[in-house]
Amino acid sequence: MRALTAELSKLTSLLSFWVALATGLIVPTAIAALNSVSTRKEIDLGVETAVGIDMGYQELAFGVIGAIIIGVIAVSNEYFTESAESGGGRQITTSLIAVPSRLRFLLAKATAVALVSAVLASAAAVATMAAIRIVLGEHAPEMGSEAIPRLAGIVCYWVLTALLAFGITVLTRHGVIPLAILIVNTSVVTVTYLLTRLTSLAYYLPDMAGIRMFIRNLEDSTVEIAPLVGGLVMTAWVAALLIIAAIVFCRRDA
Amino acid sequence: MSAEVARSRSREFVQALAAELSKLWSLPAVWLTLGGSLIVNLILAAAFISAGLQGLTGTPNVLDIGLASISYIQAGFIILGIVASCSEYTGGQIRTTLTAIPRRSLQLVAAHLALTIVVIPAAIITAASGVLFAAIALGDASASMELGSTVRMLAGATGYLGLTTLISASCGVLLRRTLPAAIALLGYYFIAGPLLREQTTQARYLPDTAGFSMWFPQPEDASALPPAQGAFVLVAWTLAAFAISLVVYRSRDA
Repeated sequence: MRALTAELSKLTSLLSFWVALATGLIVPTAIAALNSVSTRKEIDLGVETAVGIDMGYQELAFGVIGAIIIGVIAVSNEYFTESAESGGGRQITTSLIAVPSRLRFLLAKATAVALVSAVLASAAAVATMAAIRIVLGEHAPEMGSEAIPRLAGIVCYWVLTALLAFGITVLTRHGVIPLAILIVNTSVVTVTYLLTRLTSLAYYLPDMAGIRMFIRNLEDSTVEIAPLVGGLVMTAWVAALLIIAAIVFCRRDA
Repeated sequence: MSAEVARSRSREFVQALAAELSKLWSLPAVWLTLGGSLIVNLILAAAFISAGLQGLTGTPNVLDIGLASISYIQAGFIILGIVASCSEYTGGQIRTTLTAIPRRSLQLVAAHLALTIVVIPAAIITAASGVLFAAIALGDASASMELGSTVRMLAGATGYLGLTTLISASCGVLLRRTLPAAIALLGYYFIAGPLLREQTTQARYLPDTAGFSMWFPQPEDASALPPAQGAFVLVAWTLAAFAISLVVYRSRDA
């Protein structure tokens, strides 16, 4: 528990952490607002009659970049080498003196990342849906009980993606590679989506499976995956990665 | 007297350029980034080629398919630019650099020129590798390609990658730390840029969209700039980024 408090305190003292929070909140909200404005114009012109079923959810899929940054910096900052004048030290050595059990250290860190991402995801979901409601007014999609599992899916997706970033960064010990891979793969046409053109097995890659939790209308998808199955597939990927990361982390020199 | 001053100035510049080149040459991250980009480019090209062979995109065009991966592989070049600038700031190399070359404008110009010298051949190899791969793999199945447009597109892609690297290097000088710079630039090029492109036609003057017109054929998109104008806009962005970084670099503490 004290290790968890320590990890939360370390995380919140980073400037990049606050940048990540702002990114995670602003990106989906701003895109959703922009998209709502253009949808509203189309509705007023009579081109469209109703908003798409994935309105808001697809925007939140981009906002996951905030969770990615949190997952990456939580680890990469431990390995950031200070300049030679200030001793050339790394935080990880201090951290492991304070919490000698590596497994407990990693567990506390992962929990902190997951907690923070969950809070961020919930806040971003509320902000995004509110933005759509404000812009679209009475045209806004109904938020009934069927929205609850989808919103829960958003939170799971963000938490799992943050843990994915976390696991990769534990393995690489540097932030740039996981950051590049994951941000490129959050792009409008993701690399994994391209891979689904090659083989339908790519639908079971972590992000493609994970978005099934909240996206209902995936463009020309050839494989149907139920939301729960999608979530489980992504969880399995993340669990496998975290186990590998934990084994590597416990066995190697810091 | 003045001739002597001019000679010593040019000599000073040549020495600074040699120093910057030697620093880039000895940076493992440069080679890892470039090699990694090339390998990933070939993998992505294979994906695009196999999608093209399945007839998903009409008659496969060697140039379109071979260059399609550039929009992802630019991530490698962006990171190259950032690493080249920010490596000065990890561990205080910048103080040694400025002791050796006290004139900051000269140092920054030499650094950018050295980066250009390294990046142009790398960009040519990367762009040509995709096209060559596509040409071999598609063989007779492809539409015929003429030499003129091939050279033009390859030059466009090379110029785009080179200028994007230089913009990244300038941003790296501004931000001084690798991770924040990577977050900002990758976030712009892969998330904000594509979304803005869909939202507004004014986005065609932004560095990424303007640069796209240099190598990405958009015949159906009336709002796209012609290649020459796109190149002009991108060069203007590069010079502006360089000018801002130069002003900041000259006026702040190292």
